[in-house]
Amino acid sequence: MRNTARRAVQVVCVLTTASLLAACGAGKERPSEDGTAVGVTDTTIKIGAHFPLTGPAAPGYSEIPSGHQALYEYVNDNGGVHGREIEMVVKDDAYNPTNTSAVTNDMILQDEIFAMVAGLGTPTHRAVVQRLNDDGIPDLFVSSGSLQWGDDPATSPMTFGWQPDYEIEGKIIGQYVKENMPDAKVGLFLQDDDFGEDGEKGARQFLDSQIVDVQKYTPGGSTDFSPQMSSFKSKGVDLVLGFNTPSYTALSQIAAQGVGFKSKWFYSNVGADPALVGGLLASMTKGKIPAEQGVKLMDGMMTTEYIPGVDAPDDEWVKLWQKVWDEYSKKGSEKLTNYRIYGMSQAYTFVQALQANGKDLTRESIVETIEKEGASFEGPGLAPFRFSEDSHMGISGASVVELKNGAAEPLTPVLVTDIGDAPIEEDDSAASDAPPASGLPE
Amino acid sequence: MQQFLDTTLGGLVLGAVYAAFALALCLIWRSTRIVNFAQAAMAMVTTYIALSLINVDVPYWVAFLAAIAAGFVLGAVIERVIIRPVEGKAELNAVILTLGLFMVLHGLTALVFGVQHRGFPAPVSTNAMTVGDTSIGITPFGILTIVVVAVVMAGLVVLFRFTDLGLRMRASAFNGEVSRLLGVRVGRMLTLGWALAAAVGAVAGMLIAGGDLVNPAFMDPFVIYGFIAAVLGGLDSPIGSVIGGLILGLSLSYVTGYVGEHLAPLVALGILMLVLLVRPSGLFAAAAARRV
Repeated sequence: MRNTARRAVQVVCVLTTASLLAACGAGKERPSEDGTAVGVTDTTIKIGAHFPLTGPAAPGYSEIPSGHQALYEYVNDNGGVHGREIEMVVKDDAYNPTNTSAVTNDMILQDEIFAMVAGLGTPTHRAVVQRLNDDGIPDLFVSSGSLQWGDDPATSPMTFGWQPDYEIEGKIIGQYVKENMPDAKVGLFLQDDDFGEDGEKGARQFLDSQIVDVQKYTPGGSTDFSPQMSSFKSKGVDLVLGFNTPSYTALSQIAAQGVGFKSKWFYSNVGADPALVGGLLASMTKGKIPAEQGVKLMDGMMTTEYIPGVDAPDDEWVKLWQKVWDEYSKKGSEKLTNYRIYGMSQAYTFVQALQANGKDLTRESIVETIEKEGASFEGPGLAPFRFSEDSHMGISGASVVELKNGAAEPLTPVLVTDIGDAPIEEDDSAASDAPPASGLPE
Repeated sequence: MQQFLDTTLGGLVLGAVYAAFALALCLIWRSTRIVNFAQAAMAMVTTYIALSLINVDVPYWVAFLAAIAAGFVLGAVIERVIIRPVEGKAELNAVILTLGLFMVLHGLTALVFGVQHRGFPAPVSTNAMTVGDTSIGITPFGILTIVVVAVVMAGLVVLFRFTDLGLRMRASAFNGEVSRLLGVRVGRMLTLGWALAAAVGAVAGMLIAGGDLVNPAFMDPFVIYGFIAAVLGGLDSPIGSVIGGLILGLSLSYVTGYVGEHLAPLVALGILMLVLLVRPSGLFAAAAARRV
């Protein structure tokens, strides 16, 4: 009896090992069809991405892929890129890195994607970045502002960032505060990971002597921030810089009211979406303030902006997004949001890269194209990309804005810089880029 | 000094919330001798029911009572339908079953109500109160929380210590066989224990959610901390649960305010280990049964 059991275990072990080996091999050796890459045929390109479609990170973020899909459908209906239609596979990782590894595996082995485009999240994407690079799969325009996607192309040659990284955002915020509020006593409210760390690094370049308190939170942990706000209050903080996600903006506002802490607030772009945060704040007032007016609760908060959003309906880019969204949104009733605009803007950059690459598309060629030509892509970004052989960092700047009635009023011109000691310069040149008449990258 | 005061007051309110949750655990332990891991998920469901009512303009306090009633029914139904079949088998069976229930309720709530955060209103102000010119770190809602928890605790003490019903419930949990021989309707007592526990849990859910954001996972941190509070005070004692909750709330508040948020869970577990090492049956447990 025992022998049988042991035999069974051995058999299972051998089978498992064999199937694992087979699975490992499958990702690497894939004959390319007609000189093109995996996931690419004469008429299609298949890409994939992981997003939190469920779970606490889903509000807002789950809307990004719908923006991508709307733009790709628009492009496909207008003849595709070099005759190829773009097909995007979106998988839910619920913002859990373990799931991210699993769904990425599925996309590589089963869906056979050509590239990962816009996978979302710092902790989540970190779990798969090495896998993608080891397998030589392009990992384009990660939806996260962590430095690690772009500051070391030697280690991650296939990975590219897209939005401004948190360090330059921290620098731009830091310089603005130093110049305009030199007497402010600054408290930092940070997500306890790369997001908060990179932001703090940038802000400290200018504000080291002004920062009097640093408080952190763990995403998914306690949601009562009264102790943190009490600490700010007792240290006399009168300006809080928040590097946090949108729900935590609402939670920090609630906690501040609860302990009677009054301050000026400056949230990083990530955490300051007026529609989302305002809606949350309004819903706690027991119907006294309707959701549409919740945005007013954010009046006076400062943040940064690097692409035009829904609050600027007259912007040429926003007009284009609106047109595409009206025509191609799957559920007609849903509104265009800043998250969908983010998705469309990212998708636009990807289409641009495919266009610039030409008909002969391989995994290596797309990387080379972005390195060589990415810095000159004209798109919705207010500042140019920093793409080169030495840097895979995304958009190079942002402008500081103040929220008023849900709209962003610029306080500065576009400020452009890079990580480290690079100076911060005013540069509005990319902000005036207008979309081509066709709405398709040329 | 101001920070100390604010942090202490904040800790008391937080502690009261943990205490409310620990009370529900204590109740179910006293009346059925199992630990209910689905407690948080059940409270989350009743809180969502209340939120749905509030969103269609039902007055807050009516929704509050509705949540308690829903909790009562939910607890009774779960005991009858899900727990009853494994009663009399190893206690672990029921405990594992509650873990499964936790996941099912989570999933169902997400399906029905969605996963996004939603604001949950409070019946009274959630802005800090002011004394003279300085604002102090407690809100009217915080005070309400403390009062409600105190009332619930007192109610449970009275129930278990001074009423015939409480005695029968304790007897059924302690030894079903003997109680049955003495004429106690044990099955009914167990159902009632679950129903009451879920009703107390519903109160805890309402207190946690008030003036805050809710999503299907909003009660999850309270599973861990509520257990620690209950074990700290001794699973058997309602007063112990409340004191355990307050100790935990204050410690976590001080650690978060003065040291850093990332150490809070570590401290909670440290306290738990210490208590289990020194007084395994909890700070306020009655003397352990004598071995004969």
